Amino acid sequence: MMSLAALAKRAAPVFACIGLLAAWQAASFALKNDSFPTAIEAIRAIPDILGDKEALINILASLRRMAIGFGVAVMVSIPLGLLMGRSRAVAAFFNPLLMVIYPVPKAALMPIIMLWLGVGDVTKTLVIFLGVSLPVIYHSFEGAKAVEEKMLWSGAAMGLSPAQRLVRIVLPAALPEILTGCRTGLVLALISMITSEMIARQSGAGNILFNALDMGQYDTVYAMIIIVGAMGICLDAIFERVRARLVRWSEPQFDLPLSFS
Amino acid sequence: MKVVPSRSSEWVRPVTSQEPASVIIEIDRVSQVFQTSARKDHVALSDISLTIDDGAFVSILGPSGCGKSTLLYIVGGFVTPTSGSAKIKGRPITGPGPDRGPVFQEFALFPWKTVLGNVMYGPRQQGMRPSEAEAQSRALIEMVGLKGYENFYPKELSGGMKQRVALARTLAYHPEVLLMDEPFGALDAHTRTRLQNDLLNIWERDRKTVLFVTHSVDEAVFLSDKVVMMSKSPGRIRQVIDIDLPRPRRRNELLLDSRYQKYVVDIERMFDEVEETGSPS
Ligand SMILES: Nc1ncnc2c1ncn2[C@@H]1O[C@H](COP(=O)(O)OP(=O)(O)OP(=O)(O)O)[C@@H](O)[C@H]1O
Ligand SMILES: [Mg+2]
Repeated sequence: MMSLAALAKRAAPVFACIGLLAAWQAASFALKNDSFPTAIEAIRAIPDILGDKEALINILASLRRMAIGFGVAVMVSIPLGLLMGRSRAVAAFFNPLLMVIYPVPKAALMPIIMLWLGVGDVTKTLVIFLGVSLPVIYHSFEGAKAVEEKMLWSGAAMGLSPAQRLVRIVLPAALPEILTGCRTGLVLALISMITSEMIARQSGAGNILFNALDMGQYDTVYAMIIIVGAMGICLDAIFERVRARLVRWSEPQFDLPLSFS
Repeated sequence: MKVVPSRSSEWVRPVTSQEPASVIIEIDRVSQVFQTSARKDHVALSDISLTIDDGAFVSILGPSGCGKSTLLYIVGGFVTPTSGSAKIKGRPITGPGPDRGPVFQEFALFPWKTVLGNVMYGPRQQGMRPSEAEAQSRALIEMVGLKGYENFYPKELSGGMKQRVALARTLAYHPEVLLMDEPFGALDAHTRTRLQNDLLNIWERDRKTVLFVTHSVDEAVFLSDKVVMMSKSPGRIRQVIDIDLPRPRRRNELLLDSRYQKYVVDIERMFDEVEETGSPS
Protein backbone atom coordinates (compact mmCIF):
# COMPACT_ATOMS: atom_id res chain seq x y z
CA MET A 1 0.00 0.00 0.00
CA MET A 2 1.20 3.45 -0.85
CA SER A 3 0.63 6.02 1.84
CA LEU A 4 -1.37 9.13 1.03
CA ALA A 5 1.74 11.29 1.32
CA ALA A 6 3.66 9.06 -1.07
CA LEU A 7 0.74 9.11 -3.49
CA ALA A 8 0.59 12.89 -3.35
CA LYS A 9 4.32 13.05 -3.98
CA ARG A 10 4.02 10.84 -7.03
CA ALA A 11 1.04 12.74 -8.40
CA ALA A 12 2.59 16.17 -7.82
CA PRO A 13 4.33 16.39 -11.21
CA VAL A 14 1.09 15.39 -12.96
CA PHE A 15 -0.78 18.17 -11.15
CA ALA A 16 2.00 20.57 -12.08
CA CYS A 17 1.56 19.67 -15.77
CA ILE A 18 -2.21 19.98 -15.61
CA GLY A 19 -1.88 23.33 -13.87
CA LEU A 20 0.52 24.60 -16.50
CA LEU A 21 -1.76 23.51 -19.35
CA ALA A 22 -4.78 25.10 -17.65
CA ALA A 23 -2.94 28.38 -17.27
CA TRP A 24 -1.96 28.21 -20.92
CA GLN A 25 -5.55 27.52 -21.98
CA ALA A 26 -6.83 30.46 -19.94
CA ALA A 27 -4.12 32.80 -21.21
CA SER A 28 -4.72 32.01 -24.85
CA PHE A 29 -8.49 32.46 -24.37
CA ALA A 30 -7.88 35.81 -22.78
CA LEU A 31 -5.42 37.03 -25.42
CA LYS A 32 -7.27 35.71 -28.47
CA ASN A 33 -4.15 35.93 -30.60
CA ASP A 34 -3.76 33.93 -33.84
CA SER A 35 -0.14 33.05 -33.11
CA PHE A 36 -1.03 31.71 -29.65
CA PRO A 37 -3.18 28.59 -29.96
CA THR A 38 -4.93 27.15 -26.96
CA ALA A 39 -3.42 24.18 -25.16
CA ILE A 40 -6.14 21.91 -26.50
CA GLU A 41 -5.46 22.93 -30.10
CA ALA A 42 -1.79 22.26 -29.62
CA ILE A 43 -2.38 18.87 -28.04
CA ARG A 44 -4.75 17.97 -30.88
CA ALA A 45 -1.94 18.57 -33.36
CA ILE A 46 0.37 16.08 -31.67
CA PRO A 47 -1.12 12.87 -33.15
CA ASP A 48 -0.87 14.39 -36.64
CA ILE A 49 2.84 14.95 -36.19
CA LEU A 50 3.52 11.58 -34.62
CA GLY A 51 1.40 9.88 -37.27
CA ASP A 52 3.36 11.45 -40.09
CA LYS A 53 6.12 9.18 -41.34
CA GLU A 54 8.29 12.06 -42.50
CA ALA A 55 8.05 13.81 -39.13
CA LEU A 56 8.78 10.61 -37.26
CA ILE A 57 11.92 9.98 -39.32
CA ASN A 58 13.01 13.52 -38.56
CA ILE A 59 12.47 13.12 -34.83
CA LEU A 60 14.25 9.77 -34.75
CA ALA A 61 17.18 11.26 -36.66
CA SER A 62 17.37 13.99 -34.01
CA LEU A 63 17.36 11.44 -31.21
CA ARG A 64 20.03 9.40 -32.95
CA ARG A 65 22.37 12.40 -33.21
CA MET A 66 21.66 13.26 -29.62
CA ALA A 67 22.42 9.73 -28.42
CA ILE A 68 25.68 9.59 -30.37
CA GLY A 69 26.78 13.08 -29.33
CA PHE A 70 25.92 12.41 -25.69
CA GLY A 71 27.44 8.92 -25.63
CA VAL A 72 30.73 9.91 -27.22
CA ALA A 73 30.97 13.03 -25.05
CA VAL A 74 30.46 11.03 -21.86
CA MET A 75 32.97 8.39 -22.90
CA VAL A 76 35.62 11.00 -23.61
CA SER A 77 34.82 13.48 -20.84
CA ILE A 78 34.68 11.17 -17.82
CA PRO A 79 38.21 9.76 -18.25
CA LEU A 80 39.55 13.19 -19.13
CA GLY A 81 37.90 14.86 -16.13
CA LEU A 82 39.08 12.13 -13.75
CA LEU A 83 42.64 12.35 -15.04
CA MET A 84 42.56 16.13 -14.69
CA GLY A 85 41.31 15.80 -11.13
CA ARG A 86 44.13 13.48 -10.15
CA SER A 87 47.04 14.82 -12.16
CA ARG A 88 48.28 18.36 -11.90
CA ALA A 89 50.06 18.02 -15.25
CA VAL A 90 46.98 16.87 -17.15
CA ALA A 91 44.89 19.61 -15.54
CA ALA A 92 47.48 22.26 -16.39
CA PHE A 93 47.53 21.09 -19.99
CA PHE A 94 43.78 21.09 -20.63
CA ASN A 95 42.64 23.86 -18.33
CA PRO A 96 43.48 26.84 -20.59
CA LEU A 97 41.73 25.20 -23.53
CA LEU A 98 38.60 24.45 -21.53
CA MET A 99 38.55 27.90 -19.97
CA VAL A 100 38.43 29.41 -23.45
CA ILE A 101 35.72 27.05 -24.71
CA TYR A 102 33.59 27.12 -21.57
CA PRO A 103 31.88 30.53 -21.89
CA VAL A 104 31.45 30.34 -25.68
CA PRO A 105 27.90 29.35 -26.67
CA LYS A 106 28.46 26.17 -28.65
CA ALA A 107 25.81 27.20 -31.16
CA ALA A 108 27.91 30.26 -31.97
CA LEU A 109 30.62 27.92 -33.22
CA MET A 110 28.22 26.29 -35.64
CA PRO A 111 28.79 28.60 -38.60
CA ILE A 112 32.50 27.78 -38.48
CA ILE A 113 31.89 24.08 -38.03
CA MET A 114 29.39 24.17 -40.91
CA LEU A 115 32.01 25.76 -43.13
CA TRP A 116 34.35 22.88 -42.44
CA LEU A 117 32.05 19.93 -42.08
CA GLY A 118 28.90 20.92 -43.93
CA VAL A 119 25.33 20.98 -42.65
CA GLY A 120 24.97 17.24 -42.16
CA ASP A 121 24.93 14.90 -39.18
CA VAL A 122 28.59 15.38 -38.30
CA THR A 123 28.24 19.09 -37.61
CA LYS A 124 25.13 18.72 -35.51
CA THR A 125 26.51 15.79 -33.56
CA LEU A 126 29.70 17.72 -32.92
CA VAL A 127 27.74 20.63 -31.46
CA ILE A 128 25.88 18.24 -29.16
CA PHE A 129 29.20 16.65 -28.23
CA LEU A 130 30.66 20.04 -27.31
CA GLY A 131 27.61 21.03 -25.29
CA VAL A 132 27.66 17.81 -23.24
CA SER A 133 31.43 17.58 -22.76
CA LEU A 134 32.03 20.60 -20.60
CA PRO A 135 29.68 19.93 -17.69
CA VAL A 136 30.69 16.27 -17.65
CA ILE A 137 34.41 17.14 -17.66
CA TYR A 138 33.87 19.75 -14.99
CA HIS A 139 31.92 17.52 -12.64
CA SER A 140 34.24 14.53 -13.18
CA PHE A 141 37.16 16.82 -12.43
CA GLU A 142 35.59 18.14 -9.23
CA GLY A 143 34.56 14.65 -8.17
CA ALA A 144 38.03 13.21 -8.73
CA LYS A 145 39.69 16.10 -6.95
CA ALA A 146 37.54 15.60 -3.88
CA VAL A 147 38.40 11.90 -3.47
CA GLU A 148 39.83 11.45 -0.01
CA GLU A 149 43.54 10.76 -0.27
CA LYS A 150 43.49 8.15 2.50
CA MET A 151 41.07 6.11 0.40
CA LEU A 152 43.65 5.98 -2.38
CA TRP A 153 46.34 5.15 0.15
CA SER A 154 44.24 2.29 1.46
CA GLY A 155 43.97 0.98 -2.09
CA ALA A 156 47.69 1.40 -2.67
CA ALA A 157 48.43 -0.57 0.49
CA MET A 158 46.24 -3.40 -0.83
CA GLY A 159 48.39 -3.46 -3.93
CA LEU A 160 46.34 -1.48 -6.47
CA SER A 161 48.42 0.13 -9.20
CA PRO A 162 47.85 3.81 -10.07
CA ALA A 163 45.71 2.84 -13.08
CA GLN A 164 43.67 0.43 -10.96
CA ARG A 165 43.17 3.12 -8.35
CA LEU A 166 41.81 5.48 -10.99
CA VAL A 167 39.28 2.94 -12.25
CA ARG A 168 38.41 1.15 -9.03
CA ILE A 169 38.60 3.94 -6.46
CA VAL A 170 38.47 7.37 -8.10
CA LEU A 171 35.72 6.42 -10.55
CA PRO A 172 33.28 4.94 -8.02
CA ALA A 173 34.07 7.55 -5.39
CA ALA A 174 33.43 10.36 -7.87
CA LEU A 175 30.39 8.70 -9.45
CA PRO A 176 27.72 10.78 -7.69
CA GLU A 177 29.38 13.96 -8.92
CA ILE A 178 29.98 12.51 -12.40
CA LEU A 179 26.33 11.58 -12.76
CA THR A 180 25.26 15.07 -11.70
CA GLY A 181 27.36 16.32 -14.61
CA CYS A 182 25.82 13.77 -16.96
CA ARG A 183 22.34 14.85 -15.97
CA THR A 184 23.14 18.46 -16.84
CA GLY A 185 24.79 17.14 -19.99
CA LEU A 186 21.67 15.27 -21.02
CA VAL A 187 19.51 18.40 -20.89
CA LEU A 188 22.21 20.33 -22.73
CA ALA A 189 22.26 17.59 -25.38
CA LEU A 190 18.57 18.21 -26.02
CA ILE A 191 19.08 21.97 -26.15
CA SER A 192 22.08 21.66 -28.47
CA MET A 193 20.14 19.25 -30.64
CA ILE A 194 17.30 21.70 -31.25
CA THR A 195 19.63 24.68 -31.60
CA SER A 196 21.81 22.91 -34.14
CA GLU A 197 18.76 22.00 -36.22
CA MET A 198 17.53 25.52 -36.01
CA ILE A 199 20.77 26.83 -37.49
CA ALA A 200 21.48 24.07 -39.99
CA ARG A 201 17.92 23.41 -41.18
CA GLN A 202 17.75 20.19 -43.06
CA SER A 203 16.19 17.56 -40.88
CA GLY A 204 15.22 16.89 -37.31
CA ALA A 205 12.72 17.95 -34.69
CA GLY A 206 14.03 21.52 -34.67
CA ASN A 207 13.57 21.68 -38.41
CA ILE A 208 9.89 20.70 -38.18
CA LEU A 209 9.37 23.30 -35.49
CA PHE A 210 10.91 26.18 -37.39
CA ASN A 211 9.41 25.21 -40.72
CA ALA A 212 6.00 25.27 -39.10
CA LEU A 213 6.81 28.69 -37.67
CA ASP A 214 7.75 29.98 -41.12
CA MET A 215 4.49 28.70 -42.52
CA GLY A 216 2.41 30.10 -39.70
CA GLN A 217 1.20 26.67 -38.49
CA TYR A 218 1.19 27.77 -34.88
CA ASP A 219 -0.54 24.74 -33.43
CA THR A 220 2.19 22.55 -34.95
CA VAL A 221 4.84 24.85 -33.46
CA TYR A 222 3.34 24.50 -30.00
CA ALA A 223 2.75 20.78 -30.43
CA MET A 224 6.42 20.34 -31.30
CA ILE A 225 7.39 22.30 -28.19
CA ILE A 226 5.25 19.93 -26.13
CA ILE A 227 6.82 16.91 -27.84
CA VAL A 228 10.36 18.13 -27.31
CA GLY A 229 9.56 19.09 -23.73
CA ALA A 230 8.05 15.68 -23.05
CA MET A 231 11.11 14.04 -24.54
CA GLY A 232 13.30 16.04 -22.17
CA ILE A 233 11.18 15.18 -19.16
CA CYS A 234 11.16 11.46 -20.02
CA LEU A 235 14.89 11.29 -20.67
CA ASP A 236 15.61 13.11 -17.44
CA ALA A 237 13.26 10.87 -15.47
CA ILE A 238 14.82 7.71 -16.89
CA PHE A 239 18.30 9.02 -16.22
CA GLU A 240 17.36 10.00 -12.67
CA ARG A 241 16.09 6.47 -12.02
CA VAL A 242 19.34 4.96 -13.21
CA ARG A 243 21.40 7.51 -11.31
CA ALA A 244 19.56 6.96 -8.04
CA ARG A 245 20.11 3.22 -8.37
CA LEU A 246 23.81 3.57 -9.08
CA VAL A 247 24.60 5.87 -6.18
CA ARG A 248 22.18 4.61 -3.55
CA TRP A 249 25.16 4.24 -1.23
CA SER A 250 25.78 7.99 -1.19
CA GLU A 251 22.25 9.42 -1.04
CA PRO A 252 21.13 11.08 2.16
CA GLN A 253 18.29 9.06 3.62
CA PHE A 254 15.51 11.60 3.37
CA ASP A 255 15.46 14.08 0.60
CA LEU A 256 13.15 15.25 -2.11
CA PRO A 257 14.80 14.46 -5.41
CA LEU A 258 14.45 17.17 -8.01
CA SER A 259 12.93 15.04 -10.72
CA PHE A 260 9.80 13.96 -12.50
CA SER A 261 10.00 10.24 -11.98
CA MET B 1 66.49 26.96 4.25
CA LYS B 2 65.66 25.01 7.32
CA VAL B 3 68.58 23.59 9.16
CA VAL B 4 67.85 20.07 10.19
CA PRO B 5 69.63 19.19 13.42
CA SER B 6 72.21 16.56 12.65
CA ARG B 7 72.98 15.26 16.10
CA SER B 8 71.10 12.12 16.84
CA SER B 9 68.86 11.99 19.85
CA GLU B 10 70.44 10.91 23.10
CA TRP B 11 68.20 7.91 23.55
CA VAL B 12 69.56 6.08 20.51
CA ARG B 13 71.55 3.18 21.80
CA PRO B 14 73.93 1.17 19.68
CA VAL B 15 72.24 -1.91 18.37
CA THR B 16 73.26 -4.52 20.93
CA SER B 17 70.64 -7.03 19.97
CA GLN B 18 72.05 -10.54 19.57
CA GLU B 19 70.04 -11.18 16.45
CA PRO B 20 70.01 -8.10 14.24
CA ALA B 21 67.92 -10.05 11.73
CA SER B 22 64.91 -9.59 14.00
CA VAL B 23 64.69 -5.89 13.27
CA ILE B 24 61.84 -5.32 10.84
CA ILE B 25 61.65 -1.52 10.57
CA GLU B 26 64.51 0.93 10.71
CA ILE B 27 63.85 4.64 10.74
CA ASP B 28 67.09 6.52 10.29
CA ARG B 29 67.36 10.24 10.98
CA VAL B 30 64.05 11.02 9.33
CA SER B 31 62.92 14.63 9.07
CA GLN B 32 59.78 15.94 7.47
CA VAL B 33 59.37 19.58 6.52
CA PHE B 34 56.05 20.85 5.17
CA GLN B 35 55.55 24.01 3.18
CA THR B 36 52.67 25.86 4.74
CA SER B 37 50.33 28.04 2.70
CA ALA B 38 52.14 31.07 4.09
CA ARG B 39 55.23 29.72 2.28
CA LYS B 40 56.99 29.03 5.53
CA ASP B 41 58.75 25.81 6.32
CA HIS B 42 57.13 23.84 9.08
CA VAL B 43 59.19 21.08 10.64
CA ALA B 44 56.78 18.29 11.48
CA LEU B 45 59.40 15.68 12.30
CA SER B 46 63.00 16.31 13.21
CA ASP B 47 65.71 13.71 13.23
CA ILE B 48 63.69 10.66 14.14
CA SER B 49 65.58 7.41 14.53
CA LEU B 50 63.85 4.27 15.68
CA THR B 51 64.19 0.55 15.15
CA ILE B 52 61.31 -1.82 15.61
CA ASP B 53 61.78 -5.50 16.23
CA ASP B 54 59.87 -8.07 14.29
CA GLY B 55 56.74 -8.94 16.20
CA ALA B 56 56.98 -6.02 18.61
CA PHE B 57 54.04 -3.93 19.73
CA VAL B 58 55.22 -0.32 19.73
CA SER B 59 53.06 2.63 20.69
CA ILE B 60 53.69 6.22 19.74
CA LEU B 61 52.47 8.72 22.27
CA GLY B 62 52.59 12.48 22.05
CA PRO B 63 50.65 15.71 21.97
CA SER B 64 48.39 16.55 19.06
CA GLY B 65 50.32 17.80 16.05
CA CYS B 66 53.68 16.30 17.05
CA GLY B 67 53.87 14.28 13.86
CA LYS B 68 52.63 10.84 14.93
CA SER B 69 50.49 10.38 11.84
CA THR B 70 53.23 11.72 9.60
CA LEU B 71 55.68 9.18 11.01
CA LEU B 72 53.19 6.40 10.34
CA TYR B 73 52.67 7.62 6.76
CA ILE B 74 56.41 7.53 6.17
CA VAL B 75 56.62 3.92 7.32
CA GLY B 76 53.57 3.16 5.19
CA GLY B 77 55.33 4.63 2.18
CA PHE B 78 52.55 7.16 1.58
CA VAL B 79 54.82 10.10 2.33
CA THR B 80 58.49 10.40 1.36
CA PRO B 81 60.50 12.04 4.13
CA THR B 82 62.34 15.28 3.38
CA SER B 83 65.53 13.69 4.63
CA GLY B 84 66.60 10.45 6.22
CA SER B 85 65.38 7.00 5.29
CA ALA B 86 63.06 4.27 6.41
CA LYS B 87 63.61 0.59 5.74
CA ILE B 88 61.56 -2.53 6.07
CA LYS B 89 63.50 -5.79 6.38
CA GLY B 90 66.57 -3.96 5.18
CA ARG B 91 64.95 -2.66 1.99
CA PRO B 92 64.31 1.07 1.62
CA ILE B 93 60.62 1.97 1.72
CA THR B 94 59.74 3.51 -1.63
CA GLY B 95 55.98 3.18 -1.59
CA PRO B 96 52.99 1.45 -0.04
CA GLY B 97 52.70 -2.31 -0.10
CA PRO B 98 50.50 -5.09 1.28
CA ASP B 99 53.19 -5.97 3.84
CA ARG B 100 52.18 -2.81 5.74
CA GLY B 101 48.51 -2.36 6.55
CA PRO B 102 47.32 1.08 7.61
CA VAL B 103 44.27 1.80 9.74
CA PHE B 104 43.68 5.51 9.29
CA GLN B 105 42.42 7.99 11.84
CA GLU B 106 39.80 9.01 9.22
CA PHE B 107 38.74 5.36 8.51
CA ALA B 108 38.86 5.97 4.73
CA LEU B 109 36.31 3.23 4.04
CA PHE B 110 35.06 2.76 0.49
CA PRO B 111 31.57 4.31 0.71
CA TRP B 112 30.27 2.46 -2.36
CA LYS B 113 31.01 -0.91 -0.79
CA THR B 114 29.09 -2.57 1.98
CA VAL B 115 30.79 -3.60 5.20
CA LEU B 116 31.40 -7.03 3.69
CA GLY B 117 32.59 -5.51 0.41
CA ASN B 118 35.06 -3.31 2.25
CA VAL B 119 36.51 -6.15 4.27
CA MET B 120 36.70 -8.46 1.25
CA TYR B 121 38.43 -5.86 -0.91
CA GLY B 122 42.00 -6.59 0.18
CA PRO B 123 41.82 -10.40 0.05
CA ARG B 124 40.14 -10.22 -3.37
CA GLN B 125 42.82 -7.86 -4.63
CA GLN B 126 45.37 -10.35 -3.39
CA GLY B 127 43.73 -12.97 -5.56
CA MET B 128 41.90 -14.98 -2.91
CA ARG B 129 38.87 -16.92 -4.19
CA PRO B 130 35.57 -15.11 -3.55
CA SER B 131 34.08 -17.84 -1.37
CA GLU B 132 37.17 -18.04 0.79
CA ALA B 133 37.52 -14.26 1.05
CA GLU B 134 33.88 -13.98 2.03
CA ALA B 135 34.04 -16.65 4.71
CA GLN B 136 37.16 -15.13 6.21
CA SER B 137 35.73 -11.61 6.06
CA ARG B 138 32.50 -12.66 7.74
CA ALA B 139 34.52 -14.14 10.58
CA LEU B 140 36.49 -10.91 10.96
CA ILE B 141 33.31 -8.82 10.92
CA GLU B 142 31.96 -11.00 13.68
CA MET B 143 35.17 -10.59 15.62
CA VAL B 144 34.93 -6.80 15.59
CA GLY B 145 31.34 -7.12 16.78
CA LEU B 146 29.51 -6.17 13.62
CA LYS B 147 27.69 -9.39 12.86
CA GLY B 148 24.41 -8.52 11.20
CA TYR B 149 25.80 -5.36 9.60
CA GLU B 150 27.47 -7.10 6.65
CA ASN B 151 25.23 -5.44 4.09
CA PHE B 152 25.22 -1.95 5.56
CA TYR B 153 26.90 0.88 3.72
CA PRO B 154 29.45 3.03 5.61
CA LYS B 155 27.06 6.00 5.68
CA GLU B 156 24.69 3.85 7.71
CA LEU B 157 27.25 3.19 10.46
CA SER B 158 28.26 5.16 13.54
CA GLY B 159 31.80 6.49 13.94
CA GLY B 160 32.84 3.63 16.21
CA MET B 161 31.38 1.04 13.83
CA LYS B 162 33.25 2.57 10.90
CA GLN B 163 36.45 2.36 12.87
CA ARG B 164 35.87 -1.32 13.51
CA VAL B 165 35.22 -1.95 9.83
CA ALA B 166 38.46 -0.14 9.00
CA LEU B 167 40.31 -2.41 11.41
CA ALA B 168 38.73 -5.55 9.96
CA ARG B 169 39.42 -4.39 6.40
CA THR B 170 43.13 -4.08 7.14
CA LEU B 171 43.40 -7.30 9.14
CA ALA B 172 41.72 -9.12 6.26
CA TYR B 173 44.75 -9.03 3.98
CA HIS B 174 47.21 -10.12 6.65
CA PRO B 175 49.84 -7.39 6.53
CA GLU B 176 53.04 -8.21 8.40
CA VAL B 177 53.10 -4.77 9.97
CA LEU B 178 49.99 -3.00 11.23
CA LEU B 179 50.15 0.79 11.18
CA MET B 180 47.33 1.95 13.39
CA ASP B 181 46.51 5.62 13.81
CA GLU B 182 44.37 6.06 16.91
CA PRO B 183 42.23 3.16 15.80
CA PHE B 184 40.17 3.17 18.99
CA GLY B 185 39.89 6.93 19.30
CA ALA B 186 36.23 7.16 18.37
CA LEU B 187 35.03 4.23 20.47
CA ASP B 188 33.14 4.21 23.72
CA ALA B 189 35.09 2.95 26.74
CA HIS B 190 33.47 -0.47 26.72
CA THR B 191 34.00 -1.24 23.02
CA ARG B 192 37.46 0.18 23.30
CA THR B 193 38.41 -2.24 26.06
CA ARG B 194 36.91 -5.12 24.12
CA LEU B 195 38.79 -4.28 20.96
CA GLN B 196 42.02 -3.75 22.87
CA ASN B 197 41.65 -7.29 24.17
CA ASP B 198 40.81 -8.61 20.72
CA LEU B 199 43.80 -6.85 19.22
CA LEU B 200 46.06 -8.29 21.92
CA ASN B 201 44.67 -11.76 21.27
CA ILE B 202 45.28 -11.48 17.54
CA TRP B 203 48.71 -10.09 18.19
CA GLU B 204 49.66 -12.76 20.71
CA ARG B 205 48.53 -15.38 18.23
CA ASP B 206 50.08 -14.01 15.00
CA ARG B 207 52.84 -11.85 16.47
CA LYS B 208 52.42 -9.20 13.84
CA THR B 209 54.48 -6.10 14.26
CA VAL B 210 52.26 -3.24 15.37
CA LEU B 211 53.00 0.45 15.23
CA PHE B 212 50.21 2.01 17.23
CA VAL B 213 49.50 5.72 17.60
CA THR B 214 47.42 6.76 20.56
CA HIS B 215 46.60 9.63 22.88
CA SER B 216 45.85 7.33 25.76
CA VAL B 217 48.61 6.50 28.23
CA ASP B 218 46.92 3.44 29.76
CA GLU B 219 46.13 2.07 26.32
CA ALA B 220 49.79 2.42 25.36
CA VAL B 221 51.05 0.75 28.55
CA PHE B 222 48.46 -1.99 28.44
CA LEU B 223 49.21 -2.98 24.85
CA SER B 224 52.86 -2.27 24.20
CA ASP B 225 56.34 -3.66 24.50
CA LYS B 226 57.71 -0.19 23.91
CA VAL B 227 56.23 3.27 24.25
CA VAL B 228 57.78 6.01 22.16
CA MET B 229 57.18 9.39 23.74
CA MET B 230 57.28 12.29 21.30
CA SER B 231 57.43 16.03 21.86
CA LYS B 232 56.12 18.78 19.71
CA SER B 233 57.42 21.59 17.53
CA PRO B 234 59.40 20.17 16.01
CA GLY B 235 58.32 16.57 16.47
CA ARG B 236 61.11 14.62 18.14
CA ILE B 237 61.42 11.44 20.09
CA ARG B 238 61.70 12.38 23.75
CA GLN B 239 62.12 8.93 25.19
CA VAL B 240 61.54 5.26 24.50
CA ILE B 241 60.19 3.33 27.45
CA ASP B 242 60.31 -0.47 27.58
CA ILE B 243 57.19 -1.86 29.16
CA ASP B 244 58.28 -4.86 31.17
CA LEU B 245 55.00 -6.49 31.99
CA PRO B 246 54.27 -10.20 31.63
CA ARG B 247 52.13 -11.53 28.81
CA PRO B 248 49.50 -12.57 28.14
CA ARG B 249 48.12 -9.47 29.80
CA ARG B 250 44.75 -9.46 31.45
CA ARG B 251 43.21 -6.11 32.03
CA ASN B 252 41.69 -6.92 35.42
CA GLU B 253 45.04 -8.23 36.69
CA LEU B 254 47.08 -5.37 35.25
CA LEU B 255 44.92 -2.66 36.77
CA LEU B 256 45.88 -4.01 40.20
CA ASP B 257 49.54 -4.47 39.30
CA SER B 258 51.72 -1.78 40.90
CA ARG B 259 54.26 -1.96 38.06
CA TYR B 260 51.52 -1.16 35.56
CA GLN B 261 50.32 1.70 37.73
CA LYS B 262 53.83 3.09 38.00
CA TYR B 263 54.30 3.01 34.24
CA VAL B 264 51.06 4.89 33.75
CA VAL B 265 51.86 7.51 36.38
CA ASP B 266 55.43 8.04 35.11
CA ILE B 267 54.43 8.30 31.49
CA GLU B 268 51.55 10.61 32.28
CA ARG B 269 53.95 12.91 34.08
CA MET B 270 56.29 12.81 31.10
CA PHE B 271 53.36 13.58 28.80
CA ASP B 272 52.54 16.68 30.85
CA GLU B 273 56.14 17.86 30.67
CA VAL B 274 56.27 17.33 26.94
CA GLU B 275 53.06 19.23 26.43
CA GLU B 276 54.29 22.21 28.45
CA THR B 277 57.69 22.51 26.81
CA GLY B 278 56.36 22.31 23.28
CA SER B 279 56.31 25.72 21.64
CA PRO B 280 55.51 26.72 18.08
CA SER B 281 58.61 27.02 15.94
N1 LIG C 1 50.05 17.98 4.31
C1 LIG C 1 50.54 18.83 5.24
N2 LIG C 1 50.91 20.08 4.92
C2 LIG C 1 51.41 20.92 5.85
N3 LIG C 1 51.56 20.60 7.15
C3 LIG C 1 51.19 19.37 7.54
C4 LIG C 1 50.66 18.42 6.62
N4 LIG C 1 50.39 17.28 7.29
C5 LIG C 1 50.73 17.53 8.57
N5 LIG C 1 51.22 18.77 8.72
C6 LIG C 1 51.72 19.36 9.97
O1 LIG C 1 52.60 18.43 10.56
C7 LIG C 1 52.41 18.37 11.95
C8 LIG C 1 52.20 16.94 12.36
O2 LIG C 1 50.95 16.49 11.86
P1 LIG C 1 50.41 15.05 12.21
O3 LIG C 1 49.11 14.88 11.55
O4 LIG C 1 51.46 14.06 11.91
O5 LIG C 1 50.21 15.17 13.79
P2 LIG C 1 49.65 14.10 14.83
O6 LIG C 1 50.69 13.92 15.87
O7 LIG C 1 49.18 12.89 14.13
O8 LIG C 1 48.42 14.88 15.47
P3 LIG C 1 47.02 14.28 16.03
O9 LIG C 1 47.32 13.60 17.31
O10 LIG C 1 46.19 15.50 16.26
O11 LIG C 1 46.46 13.38 15.00
C9 LIG C 1 51.27 19.29 12.28
O12 LIG C 1 51.80 20.43 12.90
C10 LIG C 1 50.64 19.63 10.97
O13 LIG C 1 50.29 20.99 10.96
MG1 LIG D 1 47.29 12.07 13.73
